[in-house]
Amino acid sequence: MHTLPPTLRAEPPAACGITGHALVAARLSEIAALRDQPAPTQAPPLPPRFLRHCDEHTVVGMHAVLRALAARGPVDVSRHAVVAASCQLGRLTAAKTLANLATGGGVSVSPHIVPQCSLHSVAGAVSVGLGMRGPHLGVGGGVDSLAEGLFAAATMVQASAAAGDPPCVWLVATEWEDEPALDDAGAPAGDPVCRGLALAIEPDATDLVTDGGSRADTAGRLVAAARRAAAGGTASLSLSLRFPEPARLRVVMPAASGRLAEFARALDMCREGTALVSWALECPWGAEIRVSRRPADAGRAPQVARLREAA
Amino acid sequence: MIPPRPVARGREPVVITGVGAVSPLGNSLAEIADSLLAGRSGIRDIDPGPLARDARQFAAPVAVIPDPPAGTTRLEAAEIASLDRLARLCLVPTAAALADSGLPREPLGGRRIGLVLGLGAEHLKAWEIDFAAGGRRVFEPSRERSLAHEIAAAVGIGGPVVTAAAACASSGYALALAKTWLEAGWVDACVAGGCDVVSPTAIAAFYNLRALSRRGDDPVRASRPFDRDRDGFVMGEGGAMFVLERRADAAARGARLHGELAGVGMSSDGAHMVIPSTDPVHAARAISAALADAGVEPGEVDYVNAHAAGTPVGDVAEAAAIRLALGAAADRVPVSSTKGASGHLVSGASAFEAVACLAAIDRQAVPPTLNLDHPDPQCPLDHVPHVARPRTVNVAASNSFGFGGSNLCLVIRRAA
Repeated sequence: MHTLPPTLRAEPPAACGITGHALVAARLSEIAALRDQPAPTQAPPLPPRFLRHCDEHTVVGMHAVLRALAARGPVDVSRHAVVAASCQLGRLTAAKTLANLATGGGVSVSPHIVPQCSLHSVAGAVSVGLGMRGPHLGVGGGVDSLAEGLFAAATMVQASAAAGDPPCVWLVATEWEDEPALDDAGAPAGDPVCRGLALAIEPDATDLVTDGGSRADTAGRLVAAARRAAAGGTASLSLSLRFPEPARLRVVMPAASGRLAEFARALDMCREGTALVSWALECPWGAEIRVSRRPADAGRAPQVARLREAA
Repeated sequence: MIPPRPVARGREPVVITGVGAVSPLGNSLAEIADSLLAGRSGIRDIDPGPLARDARQFAAPVAVIPDPPAGTTRLEAAEIASLDRLARLCLVPTAAALADSGLPREPLGGRRIGLVLGLGAEHLKAWEIDFAAGGRRVFEPSRERSLAHEIAAAVGIGGPVVTAAAACASSGYALALAKTWLEAGWVDACVAGGCDVVSPTAIAAFYNLRALSRRGDDPVRASRPFDRDRDGFVMGEGGAMFVLERRADAAARGARLHGELAGVGMSSDGAHMVIPSTDPVHAARAISAALADAGVEPGEVDYVNAHAAGTPVGDVAEAAAIRLALGAAADRVPVSSTKGASGHLVSGASAFEAVACLAAIDRQAVPPTLNLDHPDPQCPLDHVPHVARPRTVNVAASNSFGFGGSNLCLVIRRAA
């Protein structure tokens, strides 16, 4: 059996802090108004009519970022990075395009479909609209988008930290609550709800052990845990990443719909510290995303200092 | 010149131990190297099909998608044959890269192996292919998994799987994610890269965006990176996948090393959804970051494989970025764009051009820019027009830029 160098096996997992989050949900009938809705006070303004050609996912995702930024107050975002994880982005536009293509030919294809309705489009729009000039990319595209998004965001934090950049990575996850059925012209039945969840993720080496478990207990998990700061009494969230050993790798079925709303609700409850929350999403490759409330740990400070020195 | 960044030190290098490709210029590193250095073009007239924008169309298609190497997938031949074109274009190089790497099969030696597939518009393409065949997938609600997960299952990969999309830089971002996973010790090996497919909707959309060349009377001469008379790019298809490992791991199993993925740099313009920024500082930041990540000074770069797709604005912006990042060294570092031969492989471009860099290192020659008859004076670089240039190539940098102002640079070094 091939073995890895001990130094690499000892590499710590990613540990990130979630420093802000917001969820926006809008019915399809409300999205036209949302395109022109000004940014909230304290969030940076968007260029005029910036969202007019954007996909519905981009509209709700952008407003989720704006809402999270407004809650944080003024902040320089010029070096922030963006990871957008969208499930079946662009399907409404694609259906209309293909319906028109069959009768109108290539001249009927909108030039906006590639820049605005591809998997990169949400991340690109957030980067351009808000002047975030760190890296940006889209991930996922299917039912595993949220898991891929959390994993990729942690990767970007890791990459930025290794390069010595002070990063903030925005994870923008979007989905239709229930994927709508479309008629032959591409029009949806009913008035479906589109959701966008924005998380601001920054390096945090303080939450390597979570929800009272040992490191061995949490191996194979991607863990998001609430952490109550020792001073000030404000709660924050953290995200850490753990991997299964090869023997524990397993495949699970894709998550059911509506996970984004559940995830957002769990994050809210953790942040407020008002209820005990435990919520998990199993990744297809056997890792686990867990949100749980964690009590303050007075004994953590020396460990934090050591970890930061090592970093 | 961009101020120097801290140079990365002390990490285990990430090396390339497997290469798989399907492209208009060949289906292996050796075939692609032969084609590029001989100055062959993969661009030709294509069947416009019933949904095409115009009666005559041209592109750089993959002539025949080969079968995956024997014994590399869990799929039966009939199942492979039933896959759509995009799925086969992604599956075959993945399986070929794993076979080329020599990693043990089933269950891949107990290693934690990941997959990052660079693919920018997977579902748009899949829905279109299905629609053209009479299907209704795009109209029906479903909770589909991404192609990357299907491919991982088909080749026996059980580690993390991510689809990465950064428009024309998608496959470069895939390599960047994989490199980080390896450096962090999150996986033992990772298959990464990307591929794309030419489709009527994509051609129509890029044409209507005025991004495509309109030289339909002379397709082979239509893709003209850095040329004064360029008028847009030519779409291509295919791409490449790589097996990446930490060098110590590769050495421990006696793997052949194709090269080292020494550095990656990424940035965004934050300026426009389609048009590259005229301020070169943002793209130059990606180039400088990649050099710093590799621990390479600008004067140590032996070759730059430019993104240069042949668009009027993009080529000028990139030339300025290269000059800003490399400083005085830009006068003596040869620069070429292989898109003159391959067309623009879109999601697969960055990975294909990484193969071009490996070819330059392997053959010790810089591949040429085809159709560069009159270099644009706004692109003052050490061009390599028409014919390959023999040269010592130990370090190659490859740029990729995409819609949304996405900038990426890879630094590939001869493996020690």
